[in-house]
Amino acid sequence: MATDTYAVEVEGVAKRFGKQPALDGISLSIRRGEVYGLLGPNGAGKTTLIRSLVGLVAPEQGTVTVLGRRMPQLAVLARVGYMTQQAALYPDLSAEENVRFFGAIHGRENGVREALEFVELWDRRKSVVSTLSGGMRTRCSLACALVHKPDLLLLDEPTVGVDPQLRVQLWDGFRKMAAGGTAIVVSSHVMDEAERCDRLGLIRFGKLLAEGTVAEIKTRAGVDRLEDAFLKLSEVSS
Amino acid sequence: MSPSRVGAITKRILQQFRRDHRTLGLLFGAPLVILALLGYLLRGGGDVPKMGIVNLDSGPLGGIVASTLESSKTVSASSMSPTDANGRLRSGDIAGYVLLPSNFSAKAQQSRLIAPEIHLEGSQPGLSQSILQAVSQSFVGLAGQAGGIQFMPRISFLYGGPSFDTLDYFGAAFIGLVVFFLVFVITAVAFLRERGQGTLERLMASPLRRAEIVLGYMLGFTVLALVQSAEVLAFSLLVLHVHNVGNVALIFVLEALMAIAAVNLGIFLSMFARTEFQAVQFIPLVIVPQVLLAGIIFPISTEPGPLQALSRVLPLTYAVEGLRNIMIKGADLTWSSLQLDLGVVLGFCVLVILAGATTLRRRVA
Repeated sequence: MATDTYAVEVEGVAKRFGKQPALDGISLSIRRGEVYGLLGPNGAGKTTLIRSLVGLVAPEQGTVTVLGRRMPQLAVLARVGYMTQQAALYPDLSAEENVRFFGAIHGRENGVREALEFVELWDRRKSVVSTLSGGMRTRCSLACALVHKPDLLLLDEPTVGVDPQLRVQLWDGFRKMAAGGTAIVVSSHVMDEAERCDRLGLIRFGKLLAEGTVAEIKTRAGVDRLEDAFLKLSEVSS
Repeated sequence: MSPSRVGAITKRILQQFRRDHRTLGLLFGAPLVILALLGYLLRGGGDVPKMGIVNLDSGPLGGIVASTLESSKTVSASSMSPTDANGRLRSGDIAGYVLLPSNFSAKAQQSRLIAPEIHLEGSQPGLSQSILQAVSQSFVGLAGQAGGIQFMPRISFLYGGPSFDTLDYFGAAFIGLVVFFLVFVITAVAFLRERGQGTLERLMASPLRRAEIVLGYMLGFTVLALVQSAEVLAFSLLVLHVHNVGNVALIFVLEALMAIAAVNLGIFLSMFARTEFQAVQFIPLVIVPQVLLAGIIFPISTEPGPLQALSRVLPLTYAVEGLRNIMIKGADLTWSSLQLDLGVVLGFCVLVILAGATTLRRRVA
């Protein structure tokens, strides 16, 4: 039942950094094969939530279940892909070497070509990362996160610095992966990106303000544009 | 040139340092600590070299020499039997002894020749020098009494020899030190880069276990460190011709152990630094005191008492001692002193490996 349908189940998770609450009793569920958008302003707790999904943040309260396993658990991380906000790569290695390394530590050596082709870096595979442009690094970082074909893909602002044309292509790719059963969590504050998600969670001050499909959220706020809906729903709650 | 623009940079630098308390502490604290340590080391009333006097002289002069030596302030001399002196010289308890033969007085009076035997341990040139000086001074009195007397000591060395120079003595220690120091700095900086560029976060979000990360790091850097160790050793022995009577393989084993310890010390200490800059700051804190106290420059036996105790807990002390035991004295694995040295260095390796693995979890969680 629940563990089969849900890739992520977060229940009443709270975490403070010093006195500042980063997550304040947040609960949400993400289905397999779903693209879920985490939307919220800077400092809302999006990154902290994503980090708690991979066990990098230990919640003070509540539970996190990933792919049916209560976190923290190391073995399940082999089926999770995590792309950090900053393009975390080894600058002295080539794009291909980076992707191969992250594949290897997740237990999958092949799939390097597929991943690099997905982000359109196969032609630049021999380039040392420090010589790549910012957008290319972001793409390489994305390839590192999905080289092992994860069942859950966590993307912290994945398309920052990526040009619109490639962004469209990447989203096509995400949709294909989701159709294949991969759950994808995308954090963003770009509304254009949010529109492409199956469901959205609006986060502010570490709380879930609203959740639903794009249409549901617009209806609930009574506005046509997602941006307005977001602003309106934020106001109501604060 | 705009003074206000220059001023902006000056002000910014001072502002940065105001927030970086650790760097401030280091900037103003470390020089005092290092100088205080050095001052204490040199003026702290450390022990003088120990030597023995074997007086077999049947005449009166031997007694005079012995009592002059015993009252000397530059060495701590005491009378002993020939077998006792020989044993204590070999165990390293005394740095040398002077033997006054039975015909010492007779020879001095008849042939106007003072011919004592001076036996030196020889592995520490500073100590040998002190003893030679003290002994020759103790004969100045005699020479004055008799006049026109020639001083012709017969000097023998247990280790090394007359051609044994400063490089031979320091070379052994530096082979270990160079490897330890460079490997430590490189590992610490590499590990901090991993943290700074965000890849450590990725590693921790992967199925990798902590022990796997530490072990992988250790093996990678150990390969580099071993190549470096071999290079340093080959250069020292083949190009510089540093004195070596020991087994080269044994030197390499000890060097390799130090390299492994340095890799893990680097991983461990990088947990306590946020930036590469802060990692480099460990050099005056971790490396300099060890260099001063590990007996590399100043023999431990002549340090002030409390510093001797401190030296005895520093792992580098044992590494340096071990290398000298092998290279200067030709020690092999049957020597209990070398067993102790190897044991301590090995124990230190295990300790820092465990420390590195444990702290890694704490800092990332």
